[in-house]
Amino acid sequence: MQRLIFIFFISFLILLPLNAYETEDKIKALLLGKISKYIKWKTSDTDNFKITIINNSQDKLFYEMYNDKNINDKIFTINYIDNISQIKDTDILYISADNSHDLENILQEIKGKNILSVSDIRGFAEKGGIVQIYFLSQKPKLKINLDEAKRESFKISSSLLRIVEVIHGDMK
Amino acid sequence: MILNKKSIVSLIFIWSSLDATDEFLDSDFEDILDMKSEIKVDVGSRNGNRNFLDSNVPVDVITYQQIDSSGLTSLSNLLRYFVPSFNAPETSVADGSDHVRAFSLRGMSPDQVLVLINGKRVHTSALLHVNGVIGRGSSHVDLDTIALKSIEKIEILRDGAAAQYGSDAISGVINIILKGFGHKNSIAIHGGKRKAGDGELLHTDLFLTKQLKYEGFVNLTLAVNEQKKTNRAGLDTRLDIPAQTTYVGLPHQKQILAVLNIEAPQSNNINLYADATFSHRDSKASAFFRPSNHNENTNLVYPNGFLPLINAKILDYSTTLGIQGRLSNSIEWDFSNKMGYNCFKYYVDNSMNYSLGLESPTSFNNGGLSFMQNSTNLDLKRSWDKFNLSSGIEYRYENYKISAGDLESYTGTGSQGFAGYNPQNEVDSNRNSYAIYIDSTYKFNDSLNVEGAGRYEKYSDFGSTTNAKLALSYKAIEELLLRSSASTGFRAPSLAQSNYSQTSSFVDTDTGLLSTHGTFKLDHEVAQTLGAKELKPEKSIHLTAGTVYQLSKKTFAMVDYFYTKVNDRIMLSNELSGVTPTQEAILESYGVSKARFFTNGIDTLTQGIDIKLKHEHIFEDESNLALTFWYSYNKNEVINYNESTISKESSLAQIDRIENGQPKESMKILTNYQKNNTTYTLNLNRFGSYRQVIAEEAYSFDAEWVADLDISYKIKENLIIAIGGHNIFNMTPNKWDGLSGIYYGYDGIKQYSRYSPFGYSGAYYYITASYDF
Repeated sequence: MQRLIFIFFISFLILLPLNAYETEDKIKALLLGKISKYIKWKTSDTDNFKITIINNSQDKLFYEMYNDKNINDKIFTINYIDNISQIKDTDILYISADNSHDLENILQEIKGKNILSVSDIRGFAEKGGIVQIYFLSQKPKLKINLDEAKRESFKISSSLLRIVEVIHGDMK
Repeated sequence: MILNKKSIVSLIFIWSSLDATDEFLDSDFEDILDMKSEIKVDVGSRNGNRNFLDSNVPVDVITYQQIDSSGLTSLSNLLRYFVPSFNAPETSVADGSDHVRAFSLRGMSPDQVLVLINGKRVHTSALLHVNGVIGRGSSHVDLDTIALKSIEKIEILRDGAAAQYGSDAISGVINIILKGFGHKNSIAIHGGKRKAGDGELLHTDLFLTKQLKYEGFVNLTLAVNEQKKTNRAGLDTRLDIPAQTTYVGLPHQKQILAVLNIEAPQSNNINLYADATFSHRDSKASAFFRPSNHNENTNLVYPNGFLPLINAKILDYSTTLGIQGRLSNSIEWDFSNKMGYNCFKYYVDNSMNYSLGLESPTSFNNGGLSFMQNSTNLDLKRSWDKFNLSSGIEYRYENYKISAGDLESYTGTGSQGFAGYNPQNEVDSNRNSYAIYIDSTYKFNDSLNVEGAGRYEKYSDFGSTTNAKLALSYKAIEELLLRSSASTGFRAPSLAQSNYSQTSSFVDTDTGLLSTHGTFKLDHEVAQTLGAKELKPEKSIHLTAGTVYQLSKKTFAMVDYFYTKVNDRIMLSNELSGVTPTQEAILESYGVSKARFFTNGIDTLTQGIDIKLKHEHIFEDESNLALTFWYSYNKNEVINYNESTISKESSLAQIDRIENGQPKESMKILTNYQKNNTTYTLNLNRFGSYRQVIAEEAYSFDAEWVADLDISYKIKENLIIAIGGHNIFNMTPNKWDGLSGIYYGYDGIKQYSRYSPFGYSGAYYYITASYDF
């Protein structure tokens, strides 16, 4: 028996180093940064990329991961706002679950401004948002509301659309 | 040996530091979508789900993928093979206990485990174990009423949590999370049999899902199974030609199960939810064989003797309805009602009532038991920057009934095998309770997290109780979490314990008169004169201290020490006779020779340690290996006797069952390897030694290793065939060492102890086909 346990411990050693299990927040943040590669804004600043995060001040992960970093030849800037009236020029608006009660108002406020809305709020894409992140069996999934994206003048790469769930229209 | 223990530990530290480099930002998009995220758990805190490795208290998780690759079809078997401190023996020839599987955590009582479905309290079975089985004196949740295919994951909290969830959360909490959004329709058929050729099992599952708007869903799981009996009885030497006369093994069971889980989010931020479970089990087991000379009337009806068959029909269902939402000030609210009902009806076939002689029927309706529980909760939750606060109120109503059987089942000597409940046993008792609770966490910084919880609860029968919990975790370094908790808890006496009675009569060989004995309700004059008092709640104190070391994000080690002291544990008294003239007079007036009743008889102390190592690895060829090593040690001691009638000497069988009847040590080595379309699962289980007392002598049984193997092959994307076996090397426990006898003994009818943690039916081999559509 002792030999069996020893083999088990050795297995631990042989098999390291390892792939990572990451936190949901970290995976969400990573998807948020990567998605810009697959989406074209109507007009875009060639040097800077701005992400605004609403009403999620306790989560500094986005800031730590991206602020002032050069990704795909663009300098990322992360802004935090407390309510939608404070929104300024931005490429992405990340709407955390804390905003679910005010979602309709937030989406109304950014309508027609070519801002990519991203959220993990349940039913976000069906409620008129553009990109929804959710987790299924510990794996991240994306749901994109294509009609809403087109209405906001986004061009989404077909390679992205192939690997995400696509829905159409405001399904409220 | 090239590597000693010290060098192994050093290597692990070095290797883990090499793994610390974060190449996260360079990942490809598709790789990110293929990443596995952390496993989150709800149980253990009312303040939202969190990574189970960062929990202030020890929590384990079994996922539906593990369930699928286990080849197991019942929840009690699944937990027995995945959780070392979980024990669920297979009892036989023990009346109702054959039909509802008792289980325990850490060798404590089955009613000291709280079971939740989707975070809501599950009702217990109406059955009260009164024979000499593991769990004697307890009513507990019947785990096998929940279809395995309906389960997304099982969370097991290894800590007292009565300050959060109320009564029963003493040795732990099992939270069953039902499958939610995103699963596929599936059908599975499982068939197998024992190596000995009996115990055929045919099990079919159907899982149907329909998506609703906003990731809502309606999930329906249906399961049907038939488990034929196994028989490992020894020869009955009372016969002229010794033969196998009694069924000793698994009962013959037919069961239908259904589970419904619904979430219907609305556009206005409101989520409507509901779940329901249903189970009907028809279970047949036997009593001991009655040879033709068992009674002077036996051969009037059965010239060759007879084997009474106890048939239990068990109906169990529950419904939950709830509504939840979030206010504009970020307060989350949840209002719900959960009702659960369990009804256990006894029928005895192939039997007779000796008192009725030739007029005796051979089949009897012996009456039944039922239990209903209805809980209504309102929960509120709010998060701030570092502070989370949740609170709630709960109202609960419970009802317990005993219904008498047919007159022929209880009159005179009653039906052989199991005498029916008589009208004096009938009871319709209820109580209510309300509770108010609060649970808060405060994150001082990235390293230190503190949780405090308190719960006040008032029961209509025994009064009020207030309990508190303090837990904290500290990350000494990023990879190392230290955690500890201290709490008080309680377990309310069950309505069954306060109200159960079952008396039966036999012919006193000295006087030739009918004499009554059995279990008496606490307020019965017989129980009162023998010293019965109103039951108090069991009170507990819990301490845990442990550590989680994450060598990498896919490798961790957990070590947790636990301490649980239970005061006033409820148990059955010894069988008592009248001692004083008053007692003798009262017992005589009822024709009672011996009586027993429930009492807060003892104080117990349970201590132990859990060690768990888990590692997962994805190889370059995308094959995947998961290894888990889990060792558990617990020691149960009776540290105080509260009644003069109970002592180690006078109650040896009961006390030894508590202290030594269940394995102190157990170990699991779980291996799962997946390559291309094939998945190999090999689980090695070590069940520690245990003891059983017969006729005031303790008999020991050896520890055993048992292996389970499952190999599944994905024929098409949606079609999987699996073959496997449990206890594949056909291990059986050792027989009674030195005990010879007709009923119990190496040469008797029951050759093995009913306490055996892995049963005694031997190897089981199966094939399973599952199809997604």
